[in-house]
Amino acid sequence: MNKTLLAGLILTTAIIGAAIFGKFFIRHDLDEPLKIHYAVDSSGKGTIVAPPLPPGKDYPLGTDYYGYDLMTRILVGAKYTIFLAVAIAFARVFFGGIAGMLLGYFARKPAKRREPATTWKLLNGIPIFLVIWLLLAGLSINSSLSPIRLCVVMGAVLAAVGIPSVVISIKEKTELIREKPFILAARSIGTGHRKMIGAHLFPHLKDSFLILIVQEIVLVLTLFGQLAIFHLFVGGTVMTFDPIEYNSRTNEWAGLIAAGRSSLDVYPWILFVPLAAYLVLILGFQLLARGLQTLFNQKYTKPSRL
Amino acid sequence: MSKMNRIVLSIPMVFILVLIMAELPLLLQPDGSHSIRLDWPQGAASIKAYFSGIPTGDSFRFLSGQNTLSFWEQIGSYFIISFGYLACGALIGTTIGVLIGIYFSLSRAEWLKRTVEFLGAMPDFVSILLLQFLVVFVASKTGVVLFQIATLSVKEPAIVLPLVSSILIPASYMIRNVTMQMTYTLAEDYIGFAKARGLRKLYIVFYHALPNVLPFIRADLHKFLGILIGNIFIVEYLYNLHGLTMLLFSNVYSYSGYQFPLVVNGLLTLLLLYAVIYTLLKTYLWGWEKVLSR
Repeated sequence: MNKTLLAGLILTTAIIGAAIFGKFFIRHDLDEPLKIHYAVDSSGKGTIVAPPLPPGKDYPLGTDYYGYDLMTRILVGAKYTIFLAVAIAFARVFFGGIAGMLLGYFARKPAKRREPATTWKLLNGIPIFLVIWLLLAGLSINSSLSPIRLCVVMGAVLAAVGIPSVVISIKEKTELIREKPFILAARSIGTGHRKMIGAHLFPHLKDSFLILIVQEIVLVLTLFGQLAIFHLFVGGTVMTFDPIEYNSRTNEWAGLIAAGRSSLDVYPWILFVPLAAYLVLILGFQLLARGLQTLFNQKYTKPSRL
Repeated sequence: MSKMNRIVLSIPMVFILVLIMAELPLLLQPDGSHSIRLDWPQGAASIKAYFSGIPTGDSFRFLSGQNTLSFWEQIGSYFIISFGYLACGALIGTTIGVLIGIYFSLSRAEWLKRTVEFLGAMPDFVSILLLQFLVVFVASKTGVVLFQIATLSVKEPAIVLPLVSSILIPASYMIRNVTMQMTYTLAEDYIGFAKARGLRKLYIVFYHALPNVLPFIRADLHKFLGILIGNIFIVEYLYNLHGLTMLLFSNVYSYSGYQFPLVVNGLLTLLLLYAVIYTLLKTYLWGWEKVLSR
């Protein structure tokens, strides 16, 4: 175990723990926002307390524009952000991994490497989040569907668009392993397909799967953020007119960031608190991926000759 | 099939796929509060309307607020802005990326590499928000506004920050890619051989290793450009630049509903932009290879 891996494990465990047990630490419920009131302190000086409050004694992370405790919002929203991201990543690697392994194992190797068609290359010019946005924007903004249902729909879409890249990456790795001598040896003593995949291919791909899951989590989290910038929040967006505002129904982190963006110059903590939480989460998974990579790489890499 | 033929043949394919993509928002409709349904007839009708609108010019008009604007009159200025930022990002980002990537593959400053790696892994919108936050922070402490954090009027456009952001993301991707490929290349036997012959370090790097790294970068160009285009969406939106992607996003839903023709035209223009930038970058890399060939 290296230091990077350890740091990643600690960070991610802490955040996942906060997402699960967060409700026990909530000090101000979401249905009791801070009201404007007149407070007199011990020296007899009176002040008007009005939201948004900066981080302080009573509200450790401050309140948002309407007086809701930011810590509560983050703790409540954490489970949507984290668990949906993890679930999507698992789904991508599970389905993509199986498909990639089978394709790589059974597909006949073409004599010459075929280049992908120009059409597909050109379509790289349309970013994936735009496609998702087009698909879900009408559905997700002021939706009649429940947040959970919307999460499922969004999860399915996000998982589906990510599967092809996983398939390609696993297929390429499988094709490399297929050429190894031990596969030839196994084949020559008459190993069946099922045993070959279960006992020879999968153990060699296990490491890659693990790293891939963590990397996909980071990618999905990034995608959440990009979609949120364009007002598409996990679990649905509430759009109010006059003034036009977009708010997250589930208090999911990317949504909090996007909603806090307008407070950048006057009430910076409304943006900064969720942004920090989100960054720590991404950093945690990033460290985890990096740590796992170093752990597995130590066996294989050749040193520089210069 | 020759390369030219393939490109010409791919155009109708791309057009069909763009039509399908633009139809997506019409396709998926909520059905009550529990399920979603697929609305095929509406999608088909809008495609039909698009084609019948081409000769009359209806497909090239769109609503912006309450005004009807002509797509052809508007698109020029939007295209130029997007092209400018994309081209700067692609060319400067690649140059910086290759040079720093080479340095990273040679140096042993692990902490520096780690820092850059984690900064590069930060999502694009986070780095933009942090840059804006930094400017606001400096301004609130010292009263000096270093840069405009967003374009609010035509007179005071934000230039420096958008430029920095549109260079930063491609550069960090390039650094990662070049460092990785360079490290693999430097482990090859011919590098050891060149060193044994007593060639200078920089000569080996630029004339033996780099020519073998550039093809990998060229092969990765489509992925690189995909990232660039995704990045330009975020940059234009967060800095309020009036580029192509902003035109798309701010007018997709007008008060009369979803504007199918605008989305189709916008996506096609985006792909045109992609092709232009791709050609530009490929030529640029080709120049590098010509200079470095022995």
